[in-house]
Amino acid sequence: MSGMRGLSVFISDIRNCQNKEAERLRVDKELGNIRTCFKNEKVLTPYKKKKYVWKMLYIHMLGYDVDFGHMEAVSLISAPKYPEKQVGYIVTSCLLNENHDFLRLAINTVRNDIIGRNETFQCLALTLVGNIGGRDFSESLAPDVQKLLISSSCRPLVRKKAALCLLRLFRKNPDAVNVDGWADRMAQLLDERDLGVLTSSTSLLVALVSNNHEAYSSCLPKCVKILERLARNQDVPQEYTYYGIPSPWLQVKAMRALQYFPTIEDPSTRKALFEVLQRILMGTDVVKNVNKNNASHAVLFEALSLVMHLDAEKEMMSQCVALLGKFISVREPNIRYLGLENMTRMLMVTDVQDIIKKHQSQIITSLKDPDISIRRRALDLLYGMCDVSNAKDIVEELLQYLSTAEFSMREELSLKAAILAEKFAPDLSWYVDVILQLIDKAGDFVSDDIWFRVVQFVTNNEDLQPYAASKAREYLDKIAIHETMLKVSAYILGEYGHLLARQPGCSASELFSILHEKLPTVSTPTIPILLSTYAKLLMHTQPPDPELQKKIWAVFKKYESCIDVEIQQRAVEYFELSKKGAAFMDVLAEMPKFPERQSSLIRKAEDVEDTADQSAIKLRAQQQPSNALVLADPQPVDGAPPPLKVPIVSGSTNPESVARSVSQAYGTLSSIDPQTPSPDLLSDLLGPLAIEAAPGAVSTEQHGPIGAEGVPEEVDGSAIVPVEEQTNSVELIGNIAERFHALCLKDSGVLYEDPHIQIGIKAEWRGQHGRLVLFMGNKNTSPLTSVQALILPPAHLKLDLSPVPDTIPPRAQVQSPLEVMNIRPSRDVAVLDFSYKFGTNMVNAKLRIPATLNKFLQPLQLTSEEFFPQWRALSGPPLKLQEVVRGVRPLALPEMANLFNSFHVTICPGLDPNPNNLVASTTFYSESTGAMLCLARIETDPADRTQLRMTVGSGDPALTFELKEFIKEQLITIPMGSRALVPAAGPGPAPAPPVAQPPSPAALADDPGALLAGLL
Amino acid sequence: MIKAVMMMNTQGKPRLAKFYDYTPVEKQQELIRGVFSVLCSRPENVSNFLEIDSLFGPDSRLVYKHYATLYFVLVFDGSENELAMLDLIQVLVETLDKCFSNVCELDIVFNYSKMHAVLDEIVFGGQVLETSSAEVMKAVEEISKLEAASNSISLVPKSVSGWRGR
Repeated sequence: MSGMRGLSVFISDIRNCQNKEAERLRVDKELGNIRTCFKNEKVLTPYKKKKYVWKMLYIHMLGYDVDFGHMEAVSLISAPKYPEKQVGYIVTSCLLNENHDFLRLAINTVRNDIIGRNETFQCLALTLVGNIGGRDFSESLAPDVQKLLISSSCRPLVRKKAALCLLRLFRKNPDAVNVDGWADRMAQLLDERDLGVLTSSTSLLVALVSNNHEAYSSCLPKCVKILERLARNQDVPQEYTYYGIPSPWLQVKAMRALQYFPTIEDPSTRKALFEVLQRILMGTDVVKNVNKNNASHAVLFEALSLVMHLDAEKEMMSQCVALLGKFISVREPNIRYLGLENMTRMLMVTDVQDIIKKHQSQIITSLKDPDISIRRRALDLLYGMCDVSNAKDIVEELLQYLSTAEFSMREELSLKAAILAEKFAPDLSWYVDVILQLIDKAGDFVSDDIWFRVVQFVTNNEDLQPYAASKAREYLDKIAIHETMLKVSAYILGEYGHLLARQPGCSASELFSILHEKLPTVSTPTIPILLSTYAKLLMHTQPPDPELQKKIWAVFKKYESCIDVEIQQRAVEYFELSKKGAAFMDVLAEMPKFPERQSSLIRKAEDVEDTADQSAIKLRAQQQPSNALVLADPQPVDGAPPPLKVPIVSGSTNPESVARSVSQAYGTLSSIDPQTPSPDLLSDLLGPLAIEAAPGAVSTEQHGPIGAEGVPEEVDGSAIVPVEEQTNSVELIGNIAERFHALCLKDSGVLYEDPHIQIGIKAEWRGQHGRLVLFMGNKNTSPLTSVQALILPPAHLKLDLSPVPDTIPPRAQVQSPLEVMNIRPSRDVAVLDFSYKFGTNMVNAKLRIPATLNKFLQPLQLTSEEFFPQWRALSGPPLKLQEVVRGVRPLALPEMANLFNSFHVTICPGLDPNPNNLVASTTFYSESTGAMLCLARIETDPADRTQLRMTVGSGDPALTFELKEFIKEQLITIPMGSRALVPAAGPGPAPAPPVAQPPSPAALADDPGALLAGLL
Repeated sequence: MIKAVMMMNTQGKPRLAKFYDYTPVEKQQELIRGVFSVLCSRPENVSNFLEIDSLFGPDSRLVYKHYATLYFVLVFDGSENELAMLDLIQVLVETLDKCFSNVCELDIVFNYSKMHAVLDEIVFGGQVLETSSAEVMKAVEEISKLEAASNSISLVPKSVSGWRGR
């Protein structure tokens, strides 16, 4: 460790670097230096090796990948002298993972060090195994490590390491301790006097009992003994007394181990333990010294957990709650934090909820704590302790807090408020109020689930409808309202606006004009909802209002040719239907009620809480039938029906609907059409209309296949689609397919653009290698987050994309180089799976990378002396292939020549005697073929320009075929044309579609909307 | 289990990082940056706990302590006691203080290898190995002595150094 001047010099060089770039240069220089030394100097002195390896570790910590020198590090392990051996062990355990091959090579050296008699070497070897030992190590070393642990001649220094090393081996392979009598040995180990060894052994015990507590029941009383010894401060050396407290770590570990035993049956052990616990609970005070405070409370909180686990008598429990009540109001923030956390856990214990409720106001105060960690805990606790009795207070507090909460908490906060409002609403109008306030205050953070749910309630509760409609109307008077609010209001007013007809300002035409005022500012997904509302308003106007009809028809007319399919379809259909009178009434009648189902919100919340967790308290929670959420369920106190039960309307016994709700309960497989495979599709195409009855109903008339009774069910299937995030709700700028085709022929340009981001590309090609740079520019003034770029490479390309940062700052551009290597000829295209989050919207695009076959071609012009011998040498299939191609886009010969030249297949003029023929040559580069000459001949028919005969030849059969197909694609499709879609892909797999995913065939068959979208 | 030990200065420069589950270097840097970006925005006199699920996955906890220009960070799972982890940071710092008599950031920067030796005596494979800084000091001094001895006799034939090592 001492005397490594080189390392110190290097570190101070790094410190002196002015910027990251300089640092990188210095690091690269050093890495180059180390690499050369390792390579060239046959015999490195151990000192030099040691110095270099330490530098490697330092560079590794700075964040640079060190992908060489691992062998040197491993080889130092077998060095005879301590310093080299030490660095070998330390660096190996930092740089390698347990599956590294080099590690297997070292296994014998490591074993020799473990069984050898040099204790310092034993320590080093144990540390390595304890940090990165894998199954191999476990199988060959477990008995040796066990021996060290129980040996009486070893020093504690070695034995405590052996204990933790064995723990690692046990985790890698439970058989590591599967020997007769190990449980007894373990119990003996707990009699250890040395507190260091005892702490490690207790850690080992925790791991063992969490796996199988029965086998280690003999250890239970020993743990209690340890606690007694520490609590009485017997035989605790000074160095293990931490700020006056006898080894808090060991106390904590021993209590943790006890929490893995389900109960303590032996009465005397139980009594002894409770005495200790009582002493801890009573004897801990908040003192001035922070460290002492922390230590004593570490023990205290562990004691609280143990008390909860043991289901102590009520007296002790209320003592615990009282303590926690004290903690959540102390000055010391750590204790406040843990107080709140433990109170949340305490909710799982029966009979203490009422005592906890007494602290409600203090908990609400914590919601305003300056520390976000504490605010989060307070939110969790309020959420957990909420029930019918306090829901109103708590939810209103949450709503109030919503306006000041930081952005990172708002989504969680609004979800929790929505769930509590739904579960415990004392009356339904309050629920509607809460949700509308929620949308008003934090519209950006209110997921679709939340507003779908309120619509569902309103639809299912007639009493609620006029109230909801008038509330919705009120919000429309606000100057600026959130778009989600507009969606809910429009939907509710469309359905129930007519119930308000007699109130001032609520006639159909007034509702129309106030809604229509907002239309110019909304995004595309909202427009279809507004159109449906207009249609419904029109239908409800009795007697008909010709003035209103004129206005609404004008709107429909205007959107008849809208570029957005959904809008266009609705506009056209509503317009046609509204001319039909009575049929119109049927189709646009009020939505039927939704069948009752578990709230997707509550399901979401439960999913979140379901995360696997092996800690004792959670395990126990699973054993108990109740948890905080369930406990708090509104058990009606006075026998009245629970407030939010909704009458079951249709088909709860219908097996299909049951099956559907089951499938919903298990995930996102919910859709308008049970066959629709992709939830994406839903959010793409149907997301905006999911809540609507209209499209399904409209189509019954026109397209027939959907049975009348299928309609309501379908609609409800989509009404509460558990779409986590709406994807692809952005409008693209430009056509992706066109952009791709343009980039196939040139080397720089824009690959993708939407309102938030532009992705440009610049490429250089040399032989089979290509270097592309992706330029991702954030066009917004807020950052784009969760940015991910993943390359899905076809088999013939090797692609290496430098990592893309997770966040693109506002107005910033990031560059990401992409190295391409062509392995063999193929027309498949690599796809870039790109996604980012803007606000709550997840945008995902699958973009084809323009690393197409022609990029690996290099123009080559041949003379006839060069051409014909080669042409004749290629005798026939498979090296030379001929095909008559029909349906060719008619092109004049010079244009066709230009087209060939544009993808680097060079026309050699004058070689073919027939003026209607073209002869061309090029060189293709790939790893497998090397540089390979390709020749082609096109014979055109001046009488019929739509067909031609093509002959392609090269020295590689696959290349000949691929090139022929490639040229054919170019001749048949119109790469630069305005209506370009995915190129006709020939026999090979079609390239992945660009962003706007065409609907799958299954969806096409049944859904007219999707059908239309597909056609367009 | 302790998942990671990190030390970084108040500018976010890592000074020591050790992950007890294998973590590739890019991921390590991402985590260090992520932790720092949360830490640097925290005011004084708040709790030493951070919600860190978004970086380290569910059931992970983080405690940190801020000393002068350095943050000491421990990331661990639900099987450890939070305050005990906080105490462990204190033990680590007290030990370093004894090692370097009044430790400062520069000591940590330039004694990179010694830092590893100290840490390895306190945390072992993600478990608490030793909590007594006196014991840790004993172990570390022993290592230093061995090194010094080995340096001073580096010209003596191998067999002798092997003998000394016993």
